[in-house]
Amino acid sequence: MSTRSYNFGFQDSRVRVGWYAILAVLLVVGLYGLYVRLTTGLLETNLTAEVPWGVWIAFYIYFVGLSAGAFLVSAMANVLGMRSLHAIERDALFVAIISMIVALLFVQSDLGRIDRSFAPLLHRQGMSVLSWEVHAYAVYIGVLTGELYFSMRKDLVTVSETGSGIRAKLAGLLTLGRTDVSEEAVATDRKWLKRLGILGIPLAIFFVHGGTGLLFAVNHSISYWHTGVFPVIFIISAVVSGLGLVVALYVARSKFFGDHLSRELLAGLGKLLGAFILIDIGLKALDTLVGLYGMSPAKVETWYLIVFGENAWAFWLMVIFAWLIPLAILSRKRWRRSPRMMVVAGLSVVFGVIGTRFVIVVPALLVPDMDGMPAGVYAGTAEEWILSVGFIALGALIYTVGAELLPLKPLEDDH
Amino acid sequence: MGAGDSLENYETLLEDHLEESLEELEKTEYSTDLGIMMAADARRVSSGEMSSDEYWGKYDDVAVSEFGEDYEQTPNPAVDRVQQTIREETAETLSCDACSLPDVAEDVDEEPSEDDHIPQWGMVIDLEKCVGCESCTTACKAENRTPPGVSYNVVMEQEHGVFPNVTRTHMPRPCLQCQNPPCVQVCPITATYKMENGITTIDYDRCFGCRYCLVACPYGARYFDFGEDYQDEFDEEGKVEVPEYGNERTFEDTTGQAMKCNYCHHRLERGEEPACVETCIGDARYMGDLADPESEVSEMASDQRAFRLKEEQGTDPNMYYLK
Repeated sequence: MSTRSYNFGFQDSRVRVGWYAILAVLLVVGLYGLYVRLTTGLLETNLTAEVPWGVWIAFYIYFVGLSAGAFLVSAMANVLGMRSLHAIERDALFVAIISMIVALLFVQSDLGRIDRSFAPLLHRQGMSVLSWEVHAYAVYIGVLTGELYFSMRKDLVTVSETGSGIRAKLAGLLTLGRTDVSEEAVATDRKWLKRLGILGIPLAIFFVHGGTGLLFAVNHSISYWHTGVFPVIFIISAVVSGLGLVVALYVARSKFFGDHLSRELLAGLGKLLGAFILIDIGLKALDTLVGLYGMSPAKVETWYLIVFGENAWAFWLMVIFAWLIPLAILSRKRWRRSPRMMVVAGLSVVFGVIGTRFVIVVPALLVPDMDGMPAGVYAGTAEEWILSVGFIALGALIYTVGAELLPLKPLEDDH
Repeated sequence: MGAGDSLENYETLLEDHLEESLEELEKTEYSTDLGIMMAADARRVSSGEMSSDEYWGKYDDVAVSEFGEDYEQTPNPAVDRVQQTIREETAETLSCDACSLPDVAEDVDEEPSEDDHIPQWGMVIDLEKCVGCESCTTACKAENRTPPGVSYNVVMEQEHGVFPNVTRTHMPRPCLQCQNPPCVQVCPITATYKMENGITTIDYDRCFGCRYCLVACPYGARYFDFGEDYQDEFDEEGKVEVPEYGNERTFEDTTGQAMKCNYCHHRLERGEEPACVETCIGDARYMGDLADPESEVSEMASDQRAFRLKEEQGTDPNMYYLK
């Protein structure tokens, strides 16, 4: 143990410099977007009364989904006792926390009055799904942080005692003064980790992500959203994107940080990802058939816009990157064990699900509420995209710094 | 400046408005000199030469002897919940009722009497009379000075039939003031709410601009102030007051917030009809109390020709159309 050096950062400093340089450029671009957003409000967006939600809301539900999905992967590790998953448990939790922060940044930027962001905590409205969601998000972030703490505490103590420099200092702070590493104390950690996990699973499934789906589905006014299975699809595609990201990070860590990579675990994650993609496709097909069978004009029109409209790129992004490419890769046993192929599959899913989220938000809003009213037109402006790039880069930066400084990979492989 | 100066000044001032003004003032049972002195000092208070505390210290005793019980039971205008101009200790020493006007108003309003009838404002539009001139839309824009892209009232044009047998209908659509408004249901912070009189309105001091209500409204009757305005088209930039917002609000105050038709609530309060109803050239719009079965709108709403929009949504709109 003591002979280990706790160097869990980049192995090659050129890669480190290169990666941070890319992030720095993206962050500078994003800062410009933030400047525009803060000085001109929503004027530089293409949002209208017909299409009041756009790029930022799509990214908001995307990151909530990424968070819920990543969390469920970690929950499988500690609640269902899938020991092989322990290697990625903390990474998944950390990603879940960051995704949630990024999601909240997106939704906050979308508000007309950012200065009143905290109004939902002051004025509750029990009939509003959004009111409930805000509280669910807050509790959820608390649960995630608590879990990460209990999962990582023992290693934080080790790093603070035997490591050096900023890592040791930070680790010492994050132990919150609980430095007991006796078997009893570690068992307490595990117990609380499990308890929080049990609380977190229904919270993530039904409140955080199911609830975000519900936020859309309750709208009788938009028939494309207004189905019972809609929130369920939300949850499934969340797991798909979360799994995709965890797979990609698992491979990336072994490549750049030199972490041990288990091909069995990789193949197992691959199978899980493939299964969830198939469920995702299946549920979406069922929902679509129910909708189209009724020939309701609004539904038919929405589907027409999804597949052939100006925003059809989102649908094809989903089909190609979230479904076809990963399924092709995951269908072969040899590729499921190949880190190179699996990172492609994971990243492809992460990229493709952006399309999934756009398909949800934008085309359904383009359909006029009533015959004779103007149809919506929407494509995000450069400003909307630039700010999005900034927030995503910020999330990546927080992850990278955290991954370099924190023992997100268990110091002892316990499997 | 002595009282004599003030008297002369005021005499001139009064003469401008009313001949023989002093004689007129003498007709009341109260002292004219005292009234003029108080008025002169009140001007000093507003110009800052005299403090509110000094003023009320000077006149409290005189006022008791002059006005008696009337003075003792009247709230003092210097006492206020928000902008009190007098120190609490001074207020305590006054003989008059040392509570603010809103406090008194609250006590008065507390129990409405049994026969206070609360109207349920509703509208009926006779589509046979509507010619599609859009003067309702224009009147609404002019009255509420809504920003670009916001028009509380629109007229939907629908064409029916195949050439040469075609007809066109025009369907004006303000807010339908639903009994079960989805916009109110979804608002996370109760920034939009339904008033007792059936009208759904928005609290511009609370709305944080999430636009969930715009999404939820099945009739597209909700709008958003994205920050555009017509200010540079006016001479006095930033000075235009919009009646809808109350006297102290300007365009900027609604930026980043949801907006909607509230049946010209400021006009209703004055006993006037909404601008769209008043202006309709064909008299196609009727506004009235749906809670009163005898009202014109109630009778029309139960007519065979009456129908409502998207009833399957369960919104129960207070808005009827006549085919």
